[in-house]
Amino acid sequence: MKIIKTMAFGVGLVLSAQISQAADSGFTLETVNPEADRVALQNYFKKRFPDAELNDYVNGIYAVDSNSREQWEEIEEFPPYEFAVEEGEVLFNTTFANGKGYADCFENGGIGIRQNFPYWSKEEGTVKTLEMEINECREANGEKVLKWSKGDIAKVSAYMAWTSRDQIIDIKLPENDAGAMAAYLDGKKFFYAKRGQLNLSCANCHVQGANIRIRADLPSPQLGHTSHFPVFRSKWGELGTLHRRYSGCHKDSRSHPLKPQTETFRNLEYFQSYMNNGLAINGPGARK
Amino acid sequence: MKKALILVAALTLVPTFVAAESFENAYLQARAMYGPGAVFEWNGKQYAAVHEEEAEADIAATAENARMMVDKAKAKNKEVAELGFEWKLTRGIIKDAESALTTGEYRKALDLAAQAKYHARMGIKQYHYAQSNWQLSVPQ
Ligand code: HEC
Repeated sequence: MKIIKTMAFGVGLVLSAQISQAADSGFTLETVNPEADRVALQNYFKKRFPDAELNDYVNGIYAVDSNSREQWEEIEEFPPYEFAVEEGEVLFNTTFANGKGYADCFENGGIGIRQNFPYWSKEEGTVKTLEMEINECREANGEKVLKWSKGDIAKVSAYMAWTSRDQIIDIKLPENDAGAMAAYLDGKKFFYAKRGQLNLSCANCHVQGANIRIRADLPSPQLGHTSHFPVFRSKWGELGTLHRRYSGCHKDSRSHPLKPQTETFRNLEYFQSYMNNGLAINGPGARK
Repeated sequence: MKKALILVAALTLVPTFVAAESFENAYLQARAMYGPGAVFEWNGKQYAAVHEEEAEADIAATAENARMMVDKAKAKNKEVAELGFEWKLTRGIIKDAESALTTGEYRKALDLAAQAKYHARMGIKQYHYAQSNWQLSVPQ
């Protein structure tokens, strides 16, 4: 109920913003309005899928496709990521050669903090992701950095997500910080720009194309996209990070994919995660 | 060959207003339906649906020419990569062009390089299109 009220308020915001800022509202550094974006996206999907609950969007395609949902619920009864979370816990609690550990690098000892990532670091002038800070923690303590897409980094990240389940996603856009806003806008622009030999944007599949069969697949709505990462995909047979998925999807437009943790992908994660503010962390997840 | 030259000139000269769009449509339609080099009519004149790069590669199949075409493709692909709009297969095509060059298959090298350069040019075009049109699909 509370959510519905905020949304109604949000609609007012969008309308008044359009009146006062004219045609290109939200597409330049001066006019971009993340809160209006978030509300507009929710309203868009509410219209497209009137039966879907807002809080259910964290379940991806299963929020809107009842056919595959049943199968997925069965999978979730014996979650395929269970061992990975246990291994992640062991890795997380194994001390480095210098006697320190991951817990020393993060707020609250690294427990229950997934919902605050990624965030804008004013000092470093860049978006920081959880995986990035996991590796920075290792580096600062004289350990080898981990590969970005899968393996140990995904396990540690999965354990950290697990300890954050049901925490409400809370991505901040510091006010009067042009750098943070530029990063957000860059991510938004990346998501909506058509590219590659197939001339497709992320939005073509995950907004306009959500739950519409594209070759053999049903793309999920972008709302909720980041909440359950890292994810165990049956196709991979293992856990993978969000940026692994980004690379794969980027390639789906027949583009040369960017590498995990490049600035553009971190900006994209910043934009997408902001869209999910108010939804709950449910990582790690399971997908086809 | 002459027709191709006319076409290339037209593609470069016609500014981007509505007419340019319909010329491009006519061009793409002819090419899709009848293949590369198909002749079509637009505003009373005849054109051949030949990509700029195909016309460029329509030169003597010598080592020197092939090398030059491969270098051009590489440069163009570097340009599109810097804009963040590089296509997936282009690097591989350039690699194939280079190995054709080393085995002395200069015609093949020229054609592959032309294809790669075309990919890169289209990616650059996408980049420019995106600058003013990316917002079209943002829910409001
Ligand atoms: C050709 C259509 C297509 C394009 C373009 C595309 N995707 Fe996807 N994407 C899919 C499909 C299909 C899936 C698998 C089904 C699903 O959504 O879970 C998927 C999955 C995902 C997931 C995982 C969703 C989940 O619930 O686990 C994310 C995140 C994602 N895409 C982001 C992106 C981003 C960002 C882009 C742009 C770089 C993009 N996609 C471009 C089709 C596409």
